[in-house]
Amino acid sequence: MKTKLSFCLALVLSTLVSGRNVDLSTVPKRNTVQLTIYNSEDLTLVRETRAVTFKKGINPLQFSWANTLIDPSSVELRFLTSSDKLEVLDTTFPHDKPQMLYWNVQSETDGEATIQITYFTSGITWKADYIVIADKDEQAMKVDSFVRVFNNSGEEYEDAQVRLVVGTINLVEKIAQLARIPMPEVETLATARRNELKNAAAMDAMDRTGGRGGVGLAAAPKKIIKEGLSEYFIYTIEGAETIPNQWSKRLRSFDAAAVPFKVQYRYRPQEYGEQLVRMYILTNDKESKLGTTPLPDGMVRVFRDNGRDGLSFLAAQTVKYIPIGGKIELNLGVDPNVIFELIKLRSYRDNLWLRLNNAEVFRQVGGGVEIEVNSTVVGWSDHEVYTQRIRNYRAKAIDVEVRRSFPGHVVFRSMLNPTLFDYQTVQFNATVEPAAKVDRLFEVLRHQGRNAKQNNVTLEKAEINP
Amino acid sequence: MQTVHWLRCAIVLAVLIAITAPAHARIKLITLPPRERVEIQLDNLGATLVEEERIVPLVKGENQVDFSWANTRIDPETIVFRVIAPVGEKRLDVKVLSVSYPPNEAALVWAVASSDSGSARVRISYILGNLSKSFNYRAIASRDESSLTLSEYIRLQNFANEEFGSTEIWAGFGKEFRKPVGLNETKEMLMAKFPKVPIRKTYTASVTEFGYLDRPQNKLRVPMHHVLKNDKGNGMGAAPLPYGKVRIFIEGSDQNREATTFLGEDWGKFTPIDDEMKLYLGVAQDIVVKRTIDRNDNERVAGNLFNQFVVIKYEIENFKDQAVTLDIVENLRYIRTEALGRDTGRDVQWELGKDTTFAGGPDKGKSTIDQVLFHVKLAARGADGKAEKSIQKFHVILKNEW
Repeated sequence: MKTKLSFCLALVLSTLVSGRNVDLSTVPKRNTVQLTIYNSEDLTLVRETRAVTFKKGINPLQFSWANTLIDPSSVELRFLTSSDKLEVLDTTFPHDKPQMLYWNVQSETDGEATIQITYFTSGITWKADYIVIADKDEQAMKVDSFVRVFNNSGEEYEDAQVRLVVGTINLVEKIAQLARIPMPEVETLATARRNELKNAAAMDAMDRTGGRGGVGLAAAPKKIIKEGLSEYFIYTIEGAETIPNQWSKRLRSFDAAAVPFKVQYRYRPQEYGEQLVRMYILTNDKESKLGTTPLPDGMVRVFRDNGRDGLSFLAAQTVKYIPIGGKIELNLGVDPNVIFELIKLRSYRDNLWLRLNNAEVFRQVGGGVEIEVNSTVVGWSDHEVYTQRIRNYRAKAIDVEVRRSFPGHVVFRSMLNPTLFDYQTVQFNATVEPAAKVDRLFEVLRHQGRNAKQNNVTLEKAEINP
Repeated sequence: MQTVHWLRCAIVLAVLIAITAPAHARIKLITLPPRERVEIQLDNLGATLVEEERIVPLVKGENQVDFSWANTRIDPETIVFRVIAPVGEKRLDVKVLSVSYPPNEAALVWAVASSDSGSARVRISYILGNLSKSFNYRAIASRDESSLTLSEYIRLQNFANEEFGSTEIWAGFGKEFRKPVGLNETKEMLMAKFPKVPIRKTYTASVTEFGYLDRPQNKLRVPMHHVLKNDKGNGMGAAPLPYGKVRIFIEGSDQNREATTFLGEDWGKFTPIDDEMKLYLGVAQDIVVKRTIDRNDNERVAGNLFNQFVVIKYEIENFKDQAVTLDIVENLRYIRTEALGRDTGRDVQWELGKDTTFAGGPDKGKSTIDQVLFHVKLAARGADGKAEKSIQKFHVILKNEW
């Protein structure tokens, strides 16, 4: 038995109303099933069709979902054929059978009709992940994108069309709560049952592709069709998939070879902490042989051809949704072959101002006037001269980007051609040749106390001596 | 389905060769492709990557390849399956169709399509836990402690509950090894040997770094270090030296140099190329340094603005039989806190005063704006056993304080 959902056409109407215990029903099977899985919420829209034979008059239909995670308030019945002759008279949720409902359907004719039942369930999720393998020269990489579908819904959906929704939707209540059973307590299958399912899944795969006994051509990986819809992106997996309860399945979403990327070293304490990190940076666009779809949130695992007929594992990093045209920035961490040091060379104060106590009078030090005893320092300027030293022990030149924030009223003096990333953050770049050391000198002038008139950084071109 | 005895880490190719109705009445043939090659990549700081190659026989069409691991910490999310090259003449077009993950099992199943029947060489890579590396060093100093021979070892600890036959092992630099790695085995391998690396033996007095040996008497603790530079001039400098324990020995007498004596051990910090590794040897009991503040007064500039004049005096005695050089390190912020009784939080603006007595002044290469280092040459104690007392002063003017 693969399903815990059941749908019955009860032949004895009086069972429902009279409380009789003897019952007879027929069980129309599913003809088609479609799963639309949202990754921003634990939500899947299930749409299934069944063929049901109705008799003229009132036909009771029973729909039950024991041990599944279906939201009972979401179950809907529609008639895809003979809709003008069929009508739902009422829906009843019996108090003594919590995961069940009855529909009374009025039929004007005897005959078969196709019905569609839709409902929300939780426990079916999907996520994306990516594997990138850089070539040994770090010029280009291979990008493989995958989607993995998890089925912990308590129900096996056989030969389902699977659609994955990329995007964020709003829900006012969680489906798992509506299903009134705790999410993680899905039934544990016995080992024998798992093996049976495993065999069945393998058999199913063989059946689909004609793989038995070596007949047929090599099957191609299933295509995943991507299309935009409103604010969302929908991935539709080609053909049908069966994912047994508690199994998960990973399919290739797309792959791209020889994707160009650049290596950059970044010092951005706010993003990466107090360290210089090595980055791989690529763009999700057509020039980069990507850009056919936004990239959903997911884990990226980064490898590199180590040039010795093997791989090096560089990093694993979660990326957020990357739109078409957006940048993919992969942080590989600290490079032991690049040493990044900030050395303070000098520090002094000038432009000192005193305030005569209890008087609104100010005078500058060194002004030649007798110094009053009863006065305090209220303004000064701190000068700090630094060198940003970078040593590159790699075999290739490196590109380094440095961002430093200076709160307060600051003048940043240098010959580094810096830019302002924001009102208090200075950015400058340096290229360091292989086996070379560079010193990038700058002075930070901080106006303190009453000397501080603003709260921002001003850039000033000035020759700085070590 | 017939029972499969899972190996600790096994790949199983299941080929359904005959299927008859009903659905479960079937015969299954399973092949167990052995590992052809294994490589352990230790170049990542926090993770060990295992790569194994197997030759997998495939039938034309779709194949099911099971990969399972019992009692090992393979991270299933990191498993990469790649077809490397065809075996033999036949070129197979092999594609991975999907991967299925059975519940509550350390296993996965690849659905693999092949254009023809034949064998494919596949490489499976994964991050394996409990297979870790560390580094350690053995240093043998020359009798006169002017050089040492440094041996760098990599230690591979295999608690992954998986054994590997002849395995290539690479740390990302230096030598590559090919060794078997058994269950629960620790293997130590010599990565590099650096003979006769010049070293400095230092004696350092630093109140902020090493503190006092006897606070009431103002006697500073004077630790000893061996300092070596990881650069090409010393026959090193090809790669950074990783963090690791260093055991330090000193060679025996001329008659028996192999009879080494253990001097101590220290944690060698990660040492980039061209940087120094400093190895702590213990406290020098025969060098006495008394540190006192000889002068502490201020001169008002204006209002509450003043300059502070501080003189620190050192009374130094060397009771050793040989002359040594003592390094004295002072932190300017610490001096200011001592002098003012508070930390203002501002940078220290300072000048060297004229009463400073250290010959040659601060070591410019090793001093910074916040910390100065002086060298003092100390003569050996006299024939009468008495040590000459050397008195040195550090005069510093702390400017523009309030």
